[in-house]
Amino acid sequence: MRDFEILRPTSLREAIELLSKHGDDACAYAGGTALLLAMRQRLLSPSHVVSLERVPEIRGIGYHSSEGLSIGALSRHADIARSPDVIANYPVLAKMAGGLANPQVRNQGTIGGNLCYADPATDPPGCLVALDAKVELASASGLRTIPLEAFLVDYFETAIQPGEILVRLIIPPLPRESRAFYARHLRTAAEHRPVANISFVVRAATATGIETRLVIGAATPTPQRMSRVEEFLGSRPMSPETALAGADMAAEDLRPISDSRGDGDFRRSIVHALVRRTIVEATFVDGRAA
Amino acid sequence: MSRTRIHVTVNGEALDTEVPAKRLLSDFIRDDLNLTGTKRGCETGICGACSVLVDGEVRKSCLSLAVQADGHEITTVEGLAQHNELHPLQESFMVHGGLQCGYCTPGFLMAAVEILRHTPKPTEEEVRKGLNGNLCRCTGYQGIVDAILDAAEKIDGH
Repeated sequence: MRDFEILRPTSLREAIELLSKHGDDACAYAGGTALLLAMRQRLLSPSHVVSLERVPEIRGIGYHSSEGLSIGALSRHADIARSPDVIANYPVLAKMAGGLANPQVRNQGTIGGNLCYADPATDPPGCLVALDAKVELASASGLRTIPLEAFLVDYFETAIQPGEILVRLIIPPLPRESRAFYARHLRTAAEHRPVANISFVVRAATATGIETRLVIGAATPTPQRMSRVEEFLGSRPMSPETALAGADMAAEDLRPISDSRGDGDFRRSIVHALVRRTIVEATFVDGRAA
Repeated sequence: MSRTRIHVTVNGEALDTEVPAKRLLSDFIRDDLNLTGTKRGCETGICGACSVLVDGEVRKSCLSLAVQADGHEITTVEGLAQHNELHPLQESFMVHGGLQCGYCTPGFLMAAVEILRHTPKPTEEEVRKGLNGNLCRCTGYQGIVDAILDAAEKIDGH
């Protein structure tokens, strides 16, 4: 790694000042699991590393019935997985967070770091987009809140501005009768990074079908919401044929990454299977549409 | 190159020292503290041979900076045996063939401590899930899993 200076602000305001002051020469440092690898490979060579560990304003997980769930950016995946508020109100999030990567990384990596690094091959972004998450960002000019879907611009690229820090995620309350499902595909048991994942939230039954969110992650540069499939599932009763047609549609609409971990067609076929199986799991109980 | 003062507790001993900003926790433990039980395996955060406990939680020390340990407690494999007695996990690993070359073993022991801390009576599946951040090239894992399940019984007072 190139030499650098480590700065350890003790407030959000101080952290913002330091990041603004050093601009492109600075990186924010949370858990550091991704950052250190990038620095050792010289993909990133900041001269100033701003550790966020002592910034209290970006910690904490809490649920309020009006706003929903608030997750501080410095929350580790293990914290999210074990939080009673998350388990009670968004069990799919706890399940996803408790299964990603490996135990060591779950104890160290933060959700803020995960989202700001915007590596496609991870679990959280798709799940959070399916839950309509928003991100709150702080800068010298104040706070702004944008949908996570808008925050994740491209692979390794977010809408964060220089001198800005991700403060927390906000996840709105879910309809009481909603159920959510998360599944992912790893090429081998030794892999920690998914080649594709699916987040499926059945929000409510409607007169014509079901209201859902269906988001594919990891197979695409940023999470891809399958709006056409959602519309389709909302417009007819569920059946095995509907689930299959939905999967066909998702595979058609997918704009996959093609790289050494999996080419586009491979990811497309995995996504087809994930979509079909997840829709069936979500909507069929004992062989009958639920 | 800047140096930062840090205060860390390592295997129960408090230390005040200075480290360069870019010193990795793994290198600090091995090179500055001479605790060479913690291994450098892949240096890319995959193999887990560098695993240590930070405030009782297992982490990969090759993915941490030494300055990140400031104000925290580190436990390495050298801290498992107490008063000249092996930790039950260390004994079980010996008895059940949980090691051959031994290079990955410190990392596995630290991961095992974490498993048993969260789940004193784990199922085999829970053990395997808890080991999913560690790689072994020698044993094929079964001896490691048997060792941890056996140690769980011993620790739990059977």
